[in-house]
Order: sequence, then structure tokens, then C-alpha cells
Amino acid sequence: MALSKAEWIELEHKASELRQLALDTCNWAGSAHMGGSLSSADFLTLLYHKYLNFDPKNCTDPKRDRCIVSKGHIGVILAALFAQLGLVDKEDLKTFNLTGSKLGMHLDSNKVKGLEASTGSLGHGSALALGDALAARVQNNPHKTWVLLGDGECDEGSVWEAAMATAHYKVTDLITVVDRNKAMIDGPTEDVLALEPFADKWRAFGFEVIEVDGHHMKKLSEAMEQAMAAKEKPVCIILDTIKGEGISFMAGDYKWHYGAMDSEKYEKATQDLKDYEAKRIARAEQEG
Amino acid sequence: MGKKITKNDLYAARIFFNAALPLLRVVVESRQDLRRLFKGKSFVFQVTAPCVRVKGGKMATYFVVEDGKFTVKVEEIHPNPDIELAFLSLKDFILFFSGRGKPLPEIHGAAKHPLLFAALLRSLLVMANLLQATEAPKRLQDQVLLVKLYFYLLPAGISQLNKAGHEKIHQWALASPDRAYAFAVTGYPALNSYVRVKEGNSKAGRGEYPRCKPFLTLRFDSPLHALDILMGKGDMIDYIARQYLTVEGAPEFAAIIGDYLFTVGDYAKGLYLDWKETE
Amino acid sequence: MGGMNYTAVESTKMATAEIFGKTLVELGEKDPRVVALTADLAKSTKIGDFMKRFPERFFNVGIAEQNLFGVAAGMAKAGLIPFASTFSVFASMRATDQLHTDICYQNVNVKIIGTHGGTSFGQAGSTHHAIEDIAMVRSLVNLKVIVPADGYETANAVRAAYETEGPVYIRINRGFDQTVYTNEHYGFQLGKGVLMAEGDDVAIIANGSCVFQAVQAARALEHDYGIHARVINLHTIKPIDREIILQAVEETRRIITVEDHTVIGGLGTAVGEVILDSGHACAFKKLGLNDHFSAIGFHEDLMSINGIDTENIVKTAIDMIRHAHVVEIDADGRATRALKFDDRDFEAEIDWTDEV
Repeated sequence: MALSKAEWIELEHKASELRQLALDTCNWAGSAHMGGSLSSADFLTLLYHKYLNFDPKNCTDPKRDRCIVSKGHIGVILAALFAQLGLVDKEDLKTFNLTGSKLGMHLDSNKVKGLEASTGSLGHGSALALGDALAARVQNNPHKTWVLLGDGECDEGSVWEAAMATAHYKVTDLITVVDRNKAMIDGPTEDVLALEPFADKWRAFGFEVIEVDGHHMKKLSEAMEQAMAAKEKPVCIILDTIKGEGISFMAGDYKWHYGAMDSEKYEKATQDLKDYEAKRIARAEQEG
Repeated sequence: MGKKITKNDLYAARIFFNAALPLLRVVVESRQDLRRLFKGKSFVFQVTAPCVRVKGGKMATYFVVEDGKFTVKVEEIHPNPDIELAFLSLKDFILFFSGRGKPLPEIHGAAKHPLLFAALLRSLLVMANLLQATEAPKRLQDQVLLVKLYFYLLPAGISQLNKAGHEKIHQWALASPDRAYAFAVTGYPALNSYVRVKEGNSKAGRGEYPRCKPFLTLRFDSPLHALDILMGKGDMIDYIARQYLTVEGAPEFAAIIGDYLFTVGDYAKGLYLDWKETE
Repeated sequence: MGGMNYTAVESTKMATAEIFGKTLVELGEKDPRVVALTADLAKSTKIGDFMKRFPERFFNVGIAEQNLFGVAAGMAKAGLIPFASTFSVFASMRATDQLHTDICYQNVNVKIIGTHGGTSFGQAGSTHHAIEDIAMVRSLVNLKVIVPADGYETANAVRAAYETEGPVYIRINRGFDQTVYTNEHYGFQLGKGVLMAEGDDVAIIANGSCVFQAVQAARALEHDYGIHARVINLHTIKPIDREIILQAVEETRRIITVEDHTVIGGLGTAVGEVILDSGHACAFKKLGLNDHFSAIGFHEDLMSINGIDTENIVKTAIDMIRHAHVVEIDADGRATRALKFDDRDFEAEIDWTDEV
């Protein structure tokens, strides 16, 4: 079902709240992986607040849909998301990265309820997701399994090992999503290790590729619905995103893969996110 | 005859003198009909063939029989045996015992001990018939005896070839750590035999290897299945698949020891001999 | 005497130790959660039996060990009990990050079967010898590590792994080892060593294919010299059986460890750690590969070359008994330095005369 205007606006509010909560957590922690968190914010919002069959109150239900966040370094926004879903105490966000906290930059699935996997070493999520999807087959327990990859992460050979196997076993219930924010720690992806022609690579591995603006709620929701309906080939959604989207001094700057926060920056970033939300809502009003 | 003695002749002669002929004792002890012929008898029986390469100028094996009980001496010459088969040449000896020819030896003492000589000839004939048979005997007790003869002969033959400096086998023995290769038939512990090899030394032994579990054991499930393999009737892989034969140890080494069993068998059959020599 | 020769290829048909494959099928019959995975080594690792019986519960991920472990972890998270099988050398090193992060860190119920352990795939050379695998996996948190002595023990280990929640690494060989046990019923317990031979002169602690060698060495020591060697099959390296080790230290004062592995980080190191930690002293010698790669060849020959065969265990024991300086504790609990030399003549006179 396509997004109604009201739903769109509602989701925009959720996404804004999520970005702010992540920023707050970064501020409490002093530093965090904000760039890649913000580029994934809209997708995570749509997935967890609309499409994922996942009840935070019954988060071990075997029938639930799963999402494996392979780009595990975005723990800061995941912690915020799980706080938003009521799975993490918001007070605990204040301990993020601090000694003794159950939350750190790469979250531990044995400590965070509802988190499907402990990730952080890149290139692992696709195989984990494939394992879950194949298990669904063995157990006759149909559900969707989503895996969110970073684009730089696709330098890892293990991503393509899993891609090959996903296509081989025709696992259409597994939906691969790549946050194509075009930046990694050492610089733009095309400078460090060129990924292009990126979509063609996925196609060559046997995937149906959907390329979509990762910061446009409506278009993104349509892409996700298309992916969920796929029956022939596994789908890879490539999100065209901007690293640090929503905060002026971070947006598009690869150096904000990981960065430190001070009060001045925090004030500025908070204001930026408010302005960004207004812009996004205006677009929803106009296009919805 | 007077032909030049080859290395192969020496290897074959050692197998016959030191590994095959001594089995006469086993044959007599295993057969009641033969045992009876020697009951209460005491004498010395010797087989010799001239060989300039060994001490005393001849190779010999003799049996000391005391009150019907046989003991065997190899690589020693008895100065005055009661009965002796003295071959005129080493080649004659090999042709005779490989069954490839019938050059008769000089016979000493037969006139003086006609009954004993007849008993010895009969015993030798029983042994030859068993070892030269191409089909397994029908009776289980004969099968058991033949397996025993093979199990005693072949490891001893390997050891003798090593000691004689047979190129391939001695090189193998030189390179070998302390290892024992054993032969067994389940349910027939009296048939057990082995050959122990270590850094160029070797020893053929009978019974269970006493030191520890052998490095490799070829274990058959019945005397007949053992004979099938030993007489070239059965396929080893097939027999393993059917569990007629179990290799206790690494199969690669079963292949190696199997190869050497062949080598001994081929010498015992005189296969190395030129056809002209067998005329 | 026909048909005594055959090729190495044919020899794979004759593997006697397909017990692992059969045990896995048995578990598969019993429990639908059991699944099997491999990375293009279904036949070589004997997991093929399972493939034939349960094709829908068998997954070959191709030559992709990282994916093998990741997928297995994903399946375990979904409630399955995956047995992932590949050669030990790849299981321990080709995807160690997945083993660490996906399996051990998440503490998921994945069972890893590393076949062709040590130098058992001798002819294949060092690319396929797993001489460092135990050092690697022993250090991983949550992972239990078992090195069974033969096919029967492998069956026990596979069942114990199934019954134990959490990740387990089982290192087995190529399948042609001599058997140590005559059946599976000798009281296998995960984490508990097995006393194979009684003796107080020296203790030989071994695992995997070295257990057979140790047992034979004890027999040879007894037969040749009247030395009574204790033999312990320490099949589980982690969690380690401290009790059986320390009892051996106390009662024999001479410990020899034997493993088809580098002496750095494997069984010997693990045993040494227990002894060091206890504060007790003893003579101690680790047999294994001394920080070098192995030669190529038949496994049995490599065991000789690498000094982990019966003969070298015997030599080591004699040497230790002859030279060991043993610190003893007197009745009042005081340590008295007692230099115990054994001046027996250990040069065995072997009669090499063939029996006739």
C-alpha cells in the first residue's frame, strides 16, 4: 500500500525524531558514526515503523520479519531506533560508549533486545541474513529477511559470496539494501576502491536491482513494496543517499563517517535537523 | 649346469632356504598323518646347495628331529646329517623348489633310512602340493594350514630379501621407522604373523606382535578369503568393500606391503627365471 | 596374490571412519532442527551421507568459507542446529573473523567439523595441513574444542556437541586412522580426559591420532623396558580437564604431550598452562611440530618425521626417565630437591633373527 499523505508526514516526524535522538546520543557519547547513521535514517524509519512485521513487545516471535544491519557501525542510530521502539531505555542512551554501558558503537545482540545480530566486522550481514532466510525454508516459516549494507562494505568479498549463494538458492524473501552514500573512512568510495558500475555488479550476480532516492519517503516506500513482491529473483535496493544527510556541516563530507561532537556543533546540528524536518514535511505536503 | 649365479638366484635361494623350507616343520606338526610317520624318531635331515658366496661354500637348512619333534636351523651347515638332499647347483635347487624343473639332487642316507626318507619325501610333497596349488583346498583344515604357510612364508620372505640387500625392499627398510606389518584371520590367532622393520633391520615373527599394536594389520574374515587374496583369486578393493578384508592402518601402506608380498611370491614361483633355464 | 595394489582415489571408497557422517544422519533423523552445510567438500568431509538423506536440510555454499560460517550463524539464530563442515585448515583460518564474530561472539549453536586435521592430509602439503588450527580456535571465547582419537570418539563428540548448547569445534582426520576404541561405550564426557593406560613412571597426554601412538608407546615401554606409562586421551582441549592433568603431575612427575599440531598454542601449551597455573613442578616435554611446516607425504610417515609417532614417544619417555630432575614433596609437605636419575641401560638389544 502506497503511503498516504498523513502516513508520510507521520513517518517524517518519526525520522526526524530518530535523527535527533541519534544526535543527542552522539552528543552524550562525545562522538559517533553519524554520517552513515543519517544516510540510513529514512530507510530504517520506513522499515521499522511500517514494513517490518516486528512487534517490539514480542521481539522473539519466530514468525517475525528480521532485519540484519550489516553496517554495524551505525550503533548510534540503532540504539536510538530501539529506544524509539521501547526496546532500549532512553536513559541508557546517555551511557552510550561509556564504560559498563550495554550500548556501544557496535551493538551486542546478546545485550540489546530485538537486535538480530552483533555486527561490526563488515561483510558479515548478508550471510547471516541468508542463513535466516534458508532456515525459514527448512522450518516452513515464511517471513521477510532484510539486510542493510553499507556501500563501502561491498569491498568485502564475503558480501559477494553471500550474493552468489542468495541468487543460487533463489532466496526472494531476503531483501538486500545497500546504503549508497558514496563515502567511506578514507574518502569517497570511487577514490578508495571504485564500486561503479555498482548496480550492474548486483545484476550480474543474479539480482533484480532497484535504485531509489534513499531520502524520499514515498519513492523509497514504493521501492520496498516492489522488493517485497518479488518472486523471480532476489532484490537489491540501492539507496541513493548522502552521508550525514540533514546536518549541514556533515552532509556529503566523508570525514563525518566518524566524528566528535561539542556543544557548539551540537547546537548547530540540532537547528539544522529542525530546518531539515521542515523542508521534508513541506515536500510531503506538496507531493503527498 | 654351472651357470652364473645372479642376484635374483641368491634372493630366491634365501627365500627357499630360510623361509620356505623351514615350513616343513609346520606341515609335519599340523598333519596327524605325517606326525605319525616321525613318532619316536630322532635324526638330522639337511638340504644343501653349493654357493661360493656364503660361508662354508654352500647354503643349507637342516632339521633336528628328536623323538619326533622338529627344530629348524637355517644359515648353518650340519657336518653329518643322517639324510641329505644335496643339490648340484643353486640353480637346480631353485628350479626344483619353484616347481619349474626337476633336476634331482644327490641323496645321502636314503638307503640307510628308507622309511624316514620316504616319510620326508611324502612331507615335502604335501608341502609342495599345498604351496604350488592354484586352487584353494576344499577342506577347512587344509585351508587353515595353507594360510599359515603363506602367513609364515611371506613376511619371512620380505625379511630375507631385506637382509639379502634386495634393492627396493632394503631401501624401504632403511628408511623405515620401527614398524610392524601383521597378517591375521579373525578367529584363528594361531595363524598370526608379522614382519618388524626398523632402519634397515627386519624380523619375521609368528604369533601376535608382542610389543604393541602393529603399524598395519591385514585382517581377513576367513581362511578362504585370505587364500583368495594370497592366491590372486580375489580383488583387494572388492574384498575390503565386502569386509572380507580389513586394513587396520593406512591403506597406502597396505599397498606397499602388498607389493612386497608379490615380490616374494614371484621369487617363490621362480618367475624371474629365464624360460631357457627352466627347460 | 592379485589385486594388492590400488590407487589413492580408490582408497577413498574404503574409508572405515565414516562414522561422523552416519552419526550426523542419526541426529538428523531424531531432530528436524539439525542441518548440514559445507563449502564444496560434501564428499571429502563425509557430510554427503546427510546430503543424500536430507537434501532439503543440506546446503552447499560453494567455495566460500566466510559465507559458510555466516549462513550457519544465521540459521542457528533462527533456531536450527547447523553442522558446518570443511577442512580444519579452512575452518580455523579462512573465515576466522566469521567464526569469531558471527559464531563465538553471538554464542550461537553452530557445530564446526574441521576434517583433515593436523598433517592427516599429508600428500596435500602445507596449504592443506592444519597445524595451527587448535591454537587459533582454542583462543576463541565460548568455543568448545574437541579433538577425537578415532571414529568412535568422533561419534561421541558429535553427539556431545549436539547435546551442548553453543558453538563447538571438532577436529577430525581423513578417516583412515587406526582405531583406539572398540566401540562407543567407554564413558565419553565432554571436558573429561580418558585414562587409556595406568602407570606412574611417566604420563603421556595426547589427542587425535596421537592417542593411538601414545597407547602403543606405553605398551612398547612396558614390553621393552618395564616402564609403566600413564596415557591420557585429552580429547577436549577446551574446557580442559585440570583434574586429570594435575593428578598425572602429582603421581608421575613427568609429562609428555603429543599432538599433530605446532607445539605453539595447542594441546601441549594448554596442558602446560594448567601445570604452570597449579604451581607444581614436573619434567615436561611437548611433542609436535617445532615452529616449522611439515614435509609432504603419507600421514604416518609425517608423524614419524615430526616426532609424534610411537617410536619418538618411547625415546622421549626414556630420555626423560634417564635425565629428569624431580622435585619431590616430603611427608611434611616440604619440597626436597631430589635428583632422580635412572641409570638402567635403555639400549634395547633387539634380536633380528627371523623366526623359523
